Amino acid sequence: MNEITRDMLMAYADGQLPEGERATVDAYLLANPEAAAEIAMIQRQNDAIRTLFGPAGAEPVPARLRPRRLAAEIGPRRIRSWGWAVAAVVLVGLGLGMGWFARPLFDARPASATLIADAVNAHTVYVAENRHAVEVGSDDSEHLSTWLSNRLDTTLGMPDLDAQGFALVGGRLLPGEPDTGGRAAQLMYENADQQRVTIYVTAALPGGEPAYQFTAYDGAEAFYWANTRITCTVVGTLPQEQMKALAGAIYAQLTEGDVNSGRPYRG
Amino acid sequence: MDQFLDQVEACVPALRRYARALTRNIDLADDLVQDCLERAIAKRGLFRPTGPVRAWLFTILLNLYRNALRSSHRRGQQVDIDTVPELATPAPQPGHLALAEMARAIQTLPTEQKEALLLVALEGFSYQEAADILHIPAGTLMSRLGRARAALRLLTGTPAEPHLRTVK
Repeated sequence: MNEITRDMLMAYADGQLPEGERATVDAYLLANPEAAAEIAMIQRQNDAIRTLFGPAGAEPVPARLRPRRLAAEIGPRRIRSWGWAVAAVVLVGLGLGMGWFARPLFDARPASATLIADAVNAHTVYVAENRHAVEVGSDDSEHLSTWLSNRLDTTLGMPDLDAQGFALVGGRLLPGEPDTGGRAAQLMYENADQQRVTIYVTAALPGGEPAYQFTAYDGAEAFYWANTRITCTVVGTLPQEQMKALAGAIYAQLTEGDVNSGRPYRG
Repeated sequence: MDQFLDQVEACVPALRRYARALTRNIDLADDLVQDCLERAIAKRGLFRPTGPVRAWLFTILLNLYRNALRSSHRRGQQVDIDTVPELATPAPQPGHLALAEMARAIQTLPTEQKEALLLVALEGFSYQEAADILHIPAGTLMSRLGRARAALRLLTGTPAEPHLRTVK
């Protein structure tokens, strides 16, 4: 036996209860005068509403509300103004689009140069620090990874550089370029001779094309690459061969899983 | 296309009735209907000829009504319901609801409840059609209707079944 709900009673009163359930409610109402009264009240409300407002629908319709007349009056005008609106939108769109795509032509510095400069600056500032070299220490590396991953909106594992003789000191969040989500993560590593290397990671560039660059910048060696998921710059002042070995190891670990680097990784 | 205009024309009385009940103002209501018709005619290309024109027109009308409500709120022209003077109420007649009292009670309902109640009780839309017009799930429509009716019962002071006793 189905339970009689208030919604069923209301639907019954509105004449909207499916055929099959009507008999059930009929039987229920015989035994429940209160429910019957409820239904009667809803029906009286409906009647009152129709009595109040029904007559407005029987009045003669004013000429200004005749669809044919409205169509004759506003049709062509509306279409013409729509035509202009569409043309304007298309022109503005074209202008914006061309401006956007021509942007790299006017922007003398490629995005990678900006990112490398930022990475080297951050490196220079923080490798000189002893007590505050990092914000979150390596002893909390799991938290560090989660925290930075969330901030960058991508998965960021901490590369293991034991084989190269480097251990993780820790990391921090830095303000970054608006192009790459406005945030950057810096990871710092140190070897037994207290030589330090930093890794500067941001979310992917809007274009997201893979790119590689090995460059000397402001007295430091920087190895930069970008894929559809992240941009990464390894910065240090070690001999070039050692930098290359480190960069190779970091690249291998940070791009792990980025098999389809030609495909957008996020969103 | 002419058939489309015929279908629209057939809906005009109902649109006027609904708009009048929503706004309680003849001129405002007809302005609303005119806006609705103009929009519908301008946008007829977007309309599938097989779908229900009536429900589509009511959707447009309600959007316009809500926009107008919003901008009048912004302009501060909305009159608080508490400051509206009481309408003269005829002595309740046994056997039927006092209509003026009912009219006033409907005006005090929240807009969303009023819209829903009038679509069903006045215009006879099915629950599903009304829910579609209001872009809400059917369950939400039912609960709005339920709340509207409970409020009306309270506001019109209608006990569950007073009239049977009055008659006897």
